[in-house]
Amino acid sequence: MAQNLKSLLDLDKRDPEAVAAIDSYGHVITYGDIKGLADSLRKNVKPRSLFFVLTKNDVGGIAWVIATILSGNVPLILNIHTENGLLEALLETYKPEFICAPEGEYDSHATPVVAEHGYRLFFTGNPPCKMHDDLSHLLPTSGSTGSPKLVRHKYSNIDAAGLNISTFFRLTDVDRPLMVLPLYYTMGLSMVFSHFKVGATVLITDLKMTDPGFWKFLKEQRATSFTGVPFSYEVLDKMRFSRMKLPDLTLLTQGGGKMPAELNLKFAEYCRDNGKRWVATYGQSEGTARMAWLPEEYAISKMGSIGIAVPNGQLTLRDSEGNIIEESPATGEMCYSGENVTMGYAKNREDLALGDERNGFLPTGDIAYRDADGFYFIKGRMGRFLKIFGNRIGLDECEQILKSHLSCECACTGTDTKLLVYLTSVSEKEVAISSLINAVKLPANVIEVRVIDSLPKNEAGKILYSKLKND
Amino acid sequence: MSNIEKYNNIFVEVFGVEPSVLNDNFSKDTVDLWDSVHQLNLVSLAEETFDIMLDPEDIMGFTSYGKGKEIVRNQDIEL
Repeated sequence: MAQNLKSLLDLDKRDPEAVAAIDSYGHVITYGDIKGLADSLRKNVKPRSLFFVLTKNDVGGIAWVIATILSGNVPLILNIHTENGLLEALLETYKPEFICAPEGEYDSHATPVVAEHGYRLFFTGNPPCKMHDDLSHLLPTSGSTGSPKLVRHKYSNIDAAGLNISTFFRLTDVDRPLMVLPLYYTMGLSMVFSHFKVGATVLITDLKMTDPGFWKFLKEQRATSFTGVPFSYEVLDKMRFSRMKLPDLTLLTQGGGKMPAELNLKFAEYCRDNGKRWVATYGQSEGTARMAWLPEEYAISKMGSIGIAVPNGQLTLRDSEGNIIEESPATGEMCYSGENVTMGYAKNREDLALGDERNGFLPTGDIAYRDADGFYFIKGRMGRFLKIFGNRIGLDECEQILKSHLSCECACTGTDTKLLVYLTSVSEKEVAISSLINAVKLPANVIEVRVIDSLPKNEAGKILYSKLKND
Repeated sequence: MSNIEKYNNIFVEVFGVEPSVLNDNFSKDTVDLWDSVHQLNLVSLAEETFDIMLDPEDIMGFTSYGKGKEIVRNQDIEL
């Protein structure tokens, strides 16, 4: 193994009695509990086994994810409510040796190997898997469109993300972050890393923000920070958040796509006027979450910017020939360098043995503008995907889904507020909408279908997306 | 369009369903797709459609076709 895992995130220095996490089911775990679970896994499981850990947002989920990593085994972290089709595809592709799931949520006739903190671990009978020594954990790339492609993380990514993020947020052991983002989502998981790095207590919940229990949990547990995607802030705004008395809550952070300007300003001004910090961030799973942050003192003057590189990281722009652009202002593809850059992707079980394919350098696929002061603004994407309500919607994957249901031609495009589908037959409109809403789980009113005579194509028969209006 | 047609239309737009499937059993617990994104979209469309402003309690309470109806009626909209 590349390093002594016990010192990951300095967890060996934590007081075993210190509370690591509290959930809205009323359960509490300590740092000692997590270490205890890791010891138990070391005793009962052959090292370097591949786990699927199906999680709820509860203390058991946190304990199992972190303990699996600490014990030298490799978890793929998934939602317990992963669609059956996707879960089957993942099981078939990666053949995990162990599956861990919350009690009563996963059928197995086998006897659990370990049963703790509301989760049970089952042996599947699959043969051992050859995995690279540095491989720490795996995350899915897409929550919505069902691709079995995974992001391969290494141990040093965890320490780097923990250190970088806790540094710029100035986190300490008295922090109590409210975690609504899922554990299997890179930004959610990075909240655990960065707060465990400083010995804080994570408040984790499965409750929807439209549920009264959510607000009770937030107030009773005296959360000190909240991290959300733009949609989370739309909900907070709707709930007349600014009128609530929440003196303990002093840090609001946002990631997962660009906020609408009006909403951004509303929260930035609210925070400025109420002695709270408003911090926009930028990240991707491929960079173990955060790669850029906008310091709170620039929240209004540089509104809309993703800010500057996180501590220990570096942002650069490169032109279409791949040359680094030194001058500012300038526009180009944004690239990130740092220890939190992941090793690469896995598309099958054999790929888990692969080493680091990126060596700390990640072209983000985002086109950014860097202003004269060195602040970055995301202008567009090179890849074909949208981010609607914080969900990454792959347009090519949407087309694949449509093609399996339709007999006419289709093309998907859109903006971060609308998924736009072009069809060549009016009679298939209803089928198109229903197959998409079931696959990507978006409300029907953000999907718009337009019928045209034929799709614009080049001589080679490729669809010319630039000729299709995207709004 | 009558108010009840307008109200039904909100659900048609958000869930992509036929008005005929709408009844008091159409709720957060019976509709798989119904999550907070859908709920907030329902509330926003209801506010827009009827030119009303709902309270946080109403937003949290908008958990079924029937409950939504009551919430809208409480804003002096006849349904």
